[in-house]
Amino acid sequence: MKNIFLHPEKSLTAKLIIAVGLLIVVGSFVFWYALLHKQEKDLVGIAVRYGGSFIDFVKKSTRYSMLNFHRAAIQQTLEDMSIAEGVSRVRIFDHNGRVFFSSQKTEVNSQVDKKSIACKGCHLEPDKSSKLLLNPQEWTIYKARDGYRVLKIIDPIPNEPSCYTAECHIHSSKQKILGFVEADLTLELLDKAQFRQGLALTGYVAIFILAISASLGIILYKLVSKPVSHLVYGMEKVAAGNLDHFIPIKSFDEIGVLTNSFNSMIKDIKAARQQQERFTQTLEAEVAKKTEEIQKTQAGLIQTEKLASLGRMAAGVAHEINNPLTGIVTFAHLMLKRVPPDSEDAEDLKVIIEQSERCAKIIKNLLTFARAIPSEKGKVPVNELLSRTINMVRNQEKFYNIKFDINLDPKNFVALGETSQFQQIFLNMLINAADAMNERGTVTIATRKITVDNKPFVEIEFTDTGSGIPDELQTRLFEPFFTTKPVGKGTGLGLSVSHGIVRHYGGQILVKSTVGKGTSFFVRLHLLEEQVV
Amino acid sequence: MKKILVIDDETIIRLSCERTLIPEGYEVKSALGGKEGLEMLEKEPFTLVLLDLKMPDMDGIEVLKKIKDTWPENKVIMITGYSTVETAVKALKLGAWNYIEKPFTPDALLEAVKEAIG
Repeated sequence: MKNIFLHPEKSLTAKLIIAVGLLIVVGSFVFWYALLHKQEKDLVGIAVRYGGSFIDFVKKSTRYSMLNFHRAAIQQTLEDMSIAEGVSRVRIFDHNGRVFFSSQKTEVNSQVDKKSIACKGCHLEPDKSSKLLLNPQEWTIYKARDGYRVLKIIDPIPNEPSCYTAECHIHSSKQKILGFVEADLTLELLDKAQFRQGLALTGYVAIFILAISASLGIILYKLVSKPVSHLVYGMEKVAAGNLDHFIPIKSFDEIGVLTNSFNSMIKDIKAARQQQERFTQTLEAEVAKKTEEIQKTQAGLIQTEKLASLGRMAAGVAHEINNPLTGIVTFAHLMLKRVPPDSEDAEDLKVIIEQSERCAKIIKNLLTFARAIPSEKGKVPVNELLSRTINMVRNQEKFYNIKFDINLDPKNFVALGETSQFQQIFLNMLINAADAMNERGTVTIATRKITVDNKPFVEIEFTDTGSGIPDELQTRLFEPFFTTKPVGKGTGLGLSVSHGIVRHYGGQILVKSTVGKGTSFFVRLHLLEEQVV
Repeated sequence: MKKILVIDDETIIRLSCERTLIPEGYEVKSALGGKEGLEMLEKEPFTLVLLDLKMPDMDGIEVLKKIKDTWPENKVIMITGYSTVETAVKALKLGAWNYIEKPFTPDALLEAVKEAIG
C-alpha cells in the first residue's frame, strides 16, 4: 500500500484514488465556495433590510423633533441610538454634505466627503447637479479599523408639506430632498457567525474528502489492487518458469474471470510443456537407441570388413609363401638324402624341415579362418553340427582329459547361417575352452530357445571350468589379434572371426566369466525352425 | 620312360618337382603357363601332368578342361595353394586324378605320382 503512492504511475489503485480524490476536492471546493457565497449574499441582504428598517426608525423617531425644530432633542436621540449594539454611528446631513446631527458630537457641522457613497446616490460626479433616482437609498460595506465589516446605509429625507409649512420655515417647498440619514451598522456578529460557519463547513468538507478518499482507497485496494497484484505476482512466477503457481480466485467479477483464465492458461501451458518434454525425452531416447544401433551395426560392419580384408590379405600372402616354402622343404629333403643319416648336417636339415612345416601349419590355419568369411545365408542344423564337432575333437589329443557335459535341447533347432562357418565357430569355442583349462576339466555344452526383442533365437552355451577372464580383458576379447595364449599358440583371430560371422547373421556372442571359476560363452543365432525329433 | 609335364608359373615349384622326380627315373619337362603347357602337349605325349590351379595367364581349371577334352587318357594331378572341398571336388569332377596341397614334401609328391602312374 505504501509504495503505490511513491510510484503512482505504476499503480492502478493510486491512479484511481488520485483521480477520484482530485474530483472530490474540486467538487467540494466549488460546493463550499457556492455555499459560502450564497450565505454571504443572503446575510448581507438581511442586514440591508434591517438597516433600512433602522433608518426608518431613525426618521420616525426624529420626525417630531424635526417639525418642532428641537435640535438638541434630535442630537440626543441620535446619541442614544448609537449606544445600541451594532450601531456605530448615525448622522444626518443636507444635500451640500454639511453634517447637522451625528451620534458622534464632534462631527457636527463638518463636511461629508463628496466622493463618498452618500453623494453618489444623486450626484454621478461630485458638485454636479443631482439626478433623482427612483430608489435613492444607497448602501455599502467597508472594513472598520477593528477588522470587522461595517454596513453604511444612506437614505434621503424627502420634502413634505409638513416640513415646509412648519413654523421654523427653514425649508422651502421647492426643495425635493431635505437631507440624508446615514447609519453605520457594524457587521461584527455576522462576520463572526459567518467565519465560524465557514470554518465548520471547511472542516466538514475536509473530513468528507478524507473519509471518501480513505474508503475509496480501501475499496480499491481490496477489489482491484490486491487481486491485480496477485495476478502480477503469479505472472512473474510463471515468467520465472514456475508453472505450479495457482492464483486463488476470490471474486466473480472481471478480475475473478481474468484470474480464472490465467489459471487455466497456465494449466494448459504446463500440460503442453509436459507433453513437449515427454515428446523430447521419447525422441532423445529414440535417437539414442537408433544411434546405438547404428554404431553397433557400423562397428559390426567395420569389424566384418576389417576381417574380410585381413582374410583376403592373409590368403594372398599365404598363397605366395607356400611356393617358396615348397622349395625349402623339397631342397632340404633332397639334401637330407645326400648327407650321412646321423650327422650334424642331417639334424640341422631336419630343423629346417620341421620349422618349414610349422610355417605351413600356421598358414593353413590363417587360410581356414580367412576362408570362413565369404558366405551364403542358409540353414544350419545346430544340434547335429554341434554333435559332429564334439565327436571330431573328442578323438584329438588336446581333449583326452576333458569331460564333456552335453545338454542339448531335444528339439532340433535350425538356425540362419552357413554350416562350415558355424562349425569353425564351435570348434574355436571348444579349443578355447580346452586352452583355458590347460586341457583338463569339464566343458558344458547346452542349447536352448530364447527370445530377444520378440525374436526367437537359439542360444548355444559353452562353459569351461578354466581360469576365467578378468573384467578389463572381457571387452577386448573380440578384437582381432587379441590373445591371452602364449606366443605362437594363438593368432588372436578365432573369437573376432567368430564374432564377425555371428553378427553377419544377426546373432550375437556374449561372455560371462568369473576369475578362478570359469568362463561361459553364449552364441545366439537366429532361430528359423524347431524340428521335433 | 614315363614323361611328366609340370605346368606352373613358379620356378621353385617346377624345380622342386624336377629335382624330386628325375632321380626317381621320370622324364620331367616344364611349362611356364597354361598356354605353353598345352602347346607342349600337342608336340609330344606325356603320361602325367602336374598342373597348378592358379596361374596368371590361364586358370588351372580351364587348362584341365582343355587337356581332358583333347587327351582324355592323360592323367592330371592338381597342385593347389590351399585346398577347399569345393575346388577339389570341381577338379576331380572334371577328371583330375588327384590333388596335392602346397607346400608339399618330396615324399608326398612322389607318393601321389606313383599312385597315379606307378
